[in-house]
Formats: sequence, C-alpha cells, structure tokens
Amino acid sequence: MKVGGLRQSLELCQFDLRGPEPSDGILANISRILASQKSNIAFLTYKTNKDKRCQLSFCLNQDQSPRASKILNQGLQLPPVWEMKSREHVGMITVFPRHSALIILGAVLASWGAQSIPIYGIATSLSAVSFTTDYRIMDKAVVAVQDSLQLPGNRAPIKPELHYYQSEVKKRDKV
Amino acid sequence: MMETIAVYWEQPIKTYGFQMVTDLVLVAFSYPLKEITSLGRILSRDALQEVKSEFIIAQESGDTISITLCLSERDYRDFWVSVAEAPGSTPCEYTYPVGIIYFHGPHFGDRYGIAEATFSTLTQANIEIVASGCSASSVFVVLAQDDIARAENVLSHTFEVAK
Repeated sequence: MKVGGLRQSLELCQFDLRGPEPSDGILANISRILASQKSNIAFLTYKTNKDKRCQLSFCLNQDQSPRASKILNQGLQLPPVWEMKSREHVGMITVFPRHSALIILGAVLASWGAQSIPIYGIATSLSAVSFTTDYRIMDKAVVAVQDSLQLPGNRAPIKPELHYYQSEVKKRDKV
Repeated sequence: MMETIAVYWEQPIKTYGFQMVTDLVLVAFSYPLKEITSLGRILSRDALQEVKSEFIIAQESGDTISITLCLSERDYRDFWVSVAEAPGSTPCEYTYPVGIIYFHGPHFGDRYGIAEATFSTLTQANIEIVASGCSASSVFVVLAQDDIARAENVLSHTFEVAK
C-alpha cells in the first residue's frame, strides 16, 4: 500500500473520560473549559452509545498536562460514576493521504500489534489517519509503519520543528 | 525547538466550507487488544480494498479497543462479513441512517477554540452528537441524518466560509 508520508507530533498527554452522557453535554463543557485556558486540542475522539454511555478522549501538548488536570478536576464536577484517566508521554503519528483508510488502519494495527506497540486512539481527518501511542517508543512505531506501508523512497517522516502557540495579543491591544 | 506565536484576528472563525455525507451506517464494535494483530490482518485483506469509510475513530478502554466507522450500506455488509469472523469480535452496534458534517480551516490543528465553537453551537441547538473525530486541521461530526441540515445552518452562523 503506497502512502504519501508520515508526520510525528510533539509530546502530548491524553485524557480519557467515560460515563453516562450528562444532560448538558460533556463535549461542549470540556471544550469550553479548555478554550478558556487557551489549550489547543491536538486530537479528539468522541462516541456515545445507544445506552447513552459515552467516551471522550483528547490530547493536549504535554506541557499543558498538570494545568489541564487541575482545571478539569475543578471545573468539570463530573458525577461520581464518571471515570477520568490521564496519561503522559503520548505521541501521534499521522499517515497521509487517507484514501484507503481501512487498509492503512489494518496495516498499522497488524504491525503495531505484532510488536506490542500500544494504540491509545485513532481518528481520520480530511486527508490523513492519526494514531496515538507511547511517545517514548515513537521511533519504533514509525519504523513499524514504514515497514508495513510503502513510503516514497526519499521522504523521511516529518518531525515537528515549530511549536505554535496562539498569542493572547489581539490587534486592538496593539493600538 | 523553535517556538512560533501565531496570531489570528478572525471573528468569526473562518473555514473552507462544510461538507456533508448522508445515508451512512454507523458501525461500532469492540475488540480485545491482545487480538489486534488478527483484526489488522483482516482489515488489510484484498476483499476490503474497495470499502470506503468516511469516518473512523478508535478508543482504547482497558483490554479492548472500540472502533467506530461510517460506511455506506453496501460497504457495511462486506465489512461486517469479514470482521465478524475475527476472533474476539463483539456484536456490532448498527445505526442507520446517520450523516457526517465535516470542515477544516487554516491552522485548525494549532489553535484553541475551534472545538468549543463547534460543540457549543451544536449543543445549544439541541443537536445530539453521536460521534466526533478531530485531528490535523479537520473536524468531523456524526449526527442523526435528520439533524445534518440544521447543523450546517447553525454552524454557518458560528463560522464564516472563506470566499
């Protein structure tokens, strides 16, 4: 299976929340809390079942982990039946383009499973398939993907060289 | 590591436009992580080469991984015939019809507030979100098919479609 390339993320942290869907919507609540802290969500998956139980997983930059944990614990006031777990040292590998996403998914699941590389989450986007795993073994995970998919010969995985922050400064502040 | 501070002065947030896909089946099933290699091999089979999934997410939960896809009805049958034979596969959750609304915008992956603008808008309009996946610069939301047109309408008031 030929693909266009791979991209690696910076180090992330991942939060996983599970429980019955609150009436006011967990997605809106959490995204509002994170936006109020100017925290960018690098990756998010959400699914609610027919019995109204849901799971929400999302990744933030690793440097936001302690603050986000504190704020989510204080601000969410989840019912006791809810479970919130966080894990640090998470990395994301994105394979693009995503046409034949099922084949890419199958190849990565097979190769990572065979090498005991953990899979924390998967999401497709407009042009790619992203997988979250243990940041500390990203190089091994990348090699496994390279061995199972056909990448252009001269194209190395893209590693992040820029760390973007959105400034709090607005145009009117400068006037 | 070089740090770059990006400043956006958009109000409202710009997007390149909303895309909708309807008449889809939402398929969800769980799979034991210890058997994930088998599932990967099944998904890589030639028989599934033509199966086109508009949306895929997976969530790890202890010893299992829950996989959710949106497929056409025809692709659903081919897909499930293959996956049902995999060791450890649970019965699938089947929801039909669902639709997807998705969009992307400049540096969505690097900016805060995009998810909040999306989910708050839909929640305030009492639109139930069945599933969602956000990565790179894209936002995908799965809804009951009857909610798709209304979702586009309310999101069009929150976001501005770039000309």
